[in-house]
Amino acid sequence: MNRNITRRGILRTGMATGGAALLTPFAASRIFAQEPEKPAEIIVRAWGGDWVAALKAGVSDRFTEETGIAVRHDLTEDNEIQPKIWAAVAQGRIPPIHVNWDTTTNASKSALRGVTEDLSDLANLSNTTDLAKPIGLDGYPIVNTYGYVYVLAYRPEAFPDGAPKSWRDLLDPRLKRRIALYNDGIGFHFPAQVAGGGSLEDIPGNMDACWEFIREIKNQQPLLGEDPDFTAWFQNGEIDAACTISTNALAAKKNGIDLAWTVPEEGCKFDTDGMWIPQGLPENELYWAKQYINMALSKESQQIWLDGLGLPGVVPDLTPPEGLENDPSYPTKPEDFEDLIRISSKIQIENESEWFAKFKEIMQG
Amino acid sequence: MPRDSEDRSFRYPLKWRIMDGLNAALDLLWPRRLGRYTGWALLTPALLLVGILVLGLFQIAENSLHTLDTSTFLPGEEYTLANYRIIAESPTYWRIVWRSLLGAGLTVFFTLLLALPYSYIMVRTNKAALRKTLLIVLFLPFFIGQVVRAYGILIVMGSSGAVNDALGLVGIEPIRLLFNFPAVVFGLVQYMLPFAVLMLAPALTAIPRETETAASSLGANWVKVFRHVILPMAKPGLVGAALVVGTLSLTDFAMPAMLGGGSQDFIANAIYDQFFRTADQGLGSALALLLVALGSVIAGVVIAFFGAGTLGMRGRK
Repeated sequence: MNRNITRRGILRTGMATGGAALLTPFAASRIFAQEPEKPAEIIVRAWGGDWVAALKAGVSDRFTEETGIAVRHDLTEDNEIQPKIWAAVAQGRIPPIHVNWDTTTNASKSALRGVTEDLSDLANLSNTTDLAKPIGLDGYPIVNTYGYVYVLAYRPEAFPDGAPKSWRDLLDPRLKRRIALYNDGIGFHFPAQVAGGGSLEDIPGNMDACWEFIREIKNQQPLLGEDPDFTAWFQNGEIDAACTISTNALAAKKNGIDLAWTVPEEGCKFDTDGMWIPQGLPENELYWAKQYINMALSKESQQIWLDGLGLPGVVPDLTPPEGLENDPSYPTKPEDFEDLIRISSKIQIENESEWFAKFKEIMQG
Repeated sequence: MPRDSEDRSFRYPLKWRIMDGLNAALDLLWPRRLGRYTGWALLTPALLLVGILVLGLFQIAENSLHTLDTSTFLPGEEYTLANYRIIAESPTYWRIVWRSLLGAGLTVFFTLLLALPYSYIMVRTNKAALRKTLLIVLFLPFFIGQVVRAYGILIVMGSSGAVNDALGLVGIEPIRLLFNFPAVVFGLVQYMLPFAVLMLAPALTAIPRETETAASSLGANWVKVFRHVILPMAKPGLVGAALVVGTLSLTDFAMPAMLGGGSQDFIANAIYDQFFRTADQGLGSALALLLVALGSVIAGVVIAFFGAGTLGMRGRK
């Protein structure tokens, strides 16, 4: 059989090969899968500053690149979007956002209220650690996406003898009016319980030790604020130490402020943030919102996103950001968690209002 | 037949014809027999707006009678006064209410103290340049907004701000000027000053110069003129300004939140915490109604004793 190799033949072969390549499992799924209609954009609620910048780089931009769907970030505070979503679901309206990036405690409240979509069918869940699973809730009404530590951040020049070893070091008279806490006390209740001489096992039944220590701290006239305040206060020289999420300290450090952080001997609170989807979205938008969270759980996205935040993710084998390997704010191994305090979401949710009220009662005096 | 052609070519001016057309259209839309209801028709949009507010208040009142079920984060089914009991028994809320009242009272006092001479000079000066300068200085803050102004105060009065820099020049160590009660009152006075001046200026304009001249010619020095002529005659403006400044200060959120350092909450901040931080809409609603009641009672007492001032649109009481 005489087979001549011609230019046309080569072109035909090339086209056939290309066509076959398109039908590989990956590409075929793109072409033939019953993907619902794409919305022009999806709206993701996020925290501002370095937080949203990291999310954009790690998840949103990649999602847009992959799907062609634009991502709009809604910077409404998590506490403020919550009643809006609850009202929308109760009234049968389409919720104002597609994906809520939220604290696990807040998100769990929405899950208990029954306004969240089930996320247990996300493909990337199979590659996550136990940290991704919300404790005390059935299934996956929310997915945890990373953990964080409420560290004791401090200005090294204010501590010439080295890092503070105990939360009680904040009672030093020279730190009067120079320390800061969250304005609802979040992150501080549990270490305060230990620093006040109490036991974590007594939470929530007996937290007298916690309140006694917070009364002592109150005499130091601390500033009380939210995430952006801490960065600003460190930058403006208003404070020397604060109980805050390590990301805020990292942000101030990136802005040129000489800052360090530590986990004192009493320990630090460890908590998680997550993502969830409110009920009431049209089917196609629900599908793409799920794909967004699925991408947030992919190793590539986690690596970029959490490099920006300096926080440990829920996917194994992520490379720690430069300078954070073995840092107490970046726990990855079981022994890293020994000095960290983790209280179940259920206990936190049920008692949070009471703790906030008690903290306010002391601080507003 | 020239007269006929003149008659035919005569036309009323365009303005008249437009007015006739508009009158005809108005007669169709609002016939003359409904004339006695015209006032009510003009009031309707305002009444509708107030009606929406009142409906909202009814909803808030209903919410305040349910407690939060923390196992479902839904309001409980049964009606209860528990939220009001929590407020009544909480020393924190009493402290916050007292702080709000004291803050509003001090703001009214200091604002009027500053606004009265400012308005007087603005109204009485013969120098057009000075009047214009005072007006510009007065209106400039209106274009900035409360939050940005509060940030301005944070920058200027911060530990490394301009004020502490100036103090450093005379050898004074940086001091904490912000994040305390006086800082909140300072911010409120700065915010309220333009409102007070705008309320006072018309009242002072209404005082004839001749009255002051007459008092002077009868031997009164400027202190006596101020005390016995200007102050009594400016009372409507002072009362109107005090009502506006007092109610706005009592319900303020931003200044205590930004300049109070988290420990100088007013009632509005406590309401925010309940609605948005602990998701307890029942308790937040009860606090909101308390604020409405408090403001209404204070305004009612002031009006009962001193009249509504310029808010009553009459200069007598």
